[in-house]
Amino acid sequence: MTTELPPPTTRFPESEDRLVAALRAGDEQAFATLVRRYHASLKRVARAYVSTDAVAEEVVQETWLAVVAGIERFEQRATLKTWLFHILTNKAKTRGVRERRTVPFASLAGADDEPAVSPERFQRAGDAWPGHWATPPRPWEDPERRLQSLEARERLREAIAALPAAQQAVLTLRDVEGLEADEVCALLDLSPGNQRVILHRARAKVRDALEQWFEEEAA
Amino acid sequence: MNRDEILCRDFVELATEYLDGALAETDVELVEEHLVICSLCREYVGQIEATASAVGATETAEPPEETLRVLLGAFAARHGRAA
Repeated sequence: MTTELPPPTTRFPESEDRLVAALRAGDEQAFATLVRRYHASLKRVARAYVSTDAVAEEVVQETWLAVVAGIERFEQRATLKTWLFHILTNKAKTRGVRERRTVPFASLAGADDEPAVSPERFQRAGDAWPGHWATPPRPWEDPERRLQSLEARERLREAIAALPAAQQAVLTLRDVEGLEADEVCALLDLSPGNQRVILHRARAKVRDALEQWFEEEAA
Repeated sequence: MNRDEILCRDFVELATEYLDGALAETDVELVEEHLVICSLCREYVGQIEATASAVGATETAEPPEETLRVLLGAFAARHGRAA
């Protein structure tokens, strides 16, 4: 009943082989680390298929239970991460169908004709250089350092949370988890073109939010 | 794409495709010709890259303690230990 939770600072074993071996051997610390590491990303991806956060949380829990039951059979033909997201998307799809939420994934991504950058920021026909920048992006000074501030990270989290669910899912898999484009296409049943459009919309909106933050900072 | 030059308005739509190395060869040439002359689009694509890496550096929320407890219980039970 009162299981001591392993401390959150537990680090990943250096190699995936060791992690998988630890999981198979029943190492609770290794399992807790794995859950802590992936829970939020799994939930964000699940959310693209189901109607509420609560259902997404259930899908993620089912996924972890499947991992518990299946780790002995995991053959490491894919990485552990890919295997996790594969189980998750299968469960989320099944759940989405049961909820009769059969909207094709790509159509959840937001309007396809939505431009990455507002058309008002470019010169129009009749201007000196139609199609070129009218309001160009201002240089970001030392973005890596400045984006580490608490406020910047909060703005970043808000911007990600405000994205349509499908954009959050693709952004999470590509930019948070670092999966390759073709892996993401296979997991989410997307064409390569659709995957890139969704990812680019997501990055462009988050860039807009960061740009706004940089401008406010400079003001 | 079938064009002989790329404008800034076109480039901003292609930035992720360009970074992914997914553009057709002829388009890569057009994009790179454009980037050589356009510092504003170089800035834009740099910001898209900075955005992607900032997203990658965001710390993820921890699962609820109760969830973790339940899952660890299931894990321990599977391995023949009482939770």
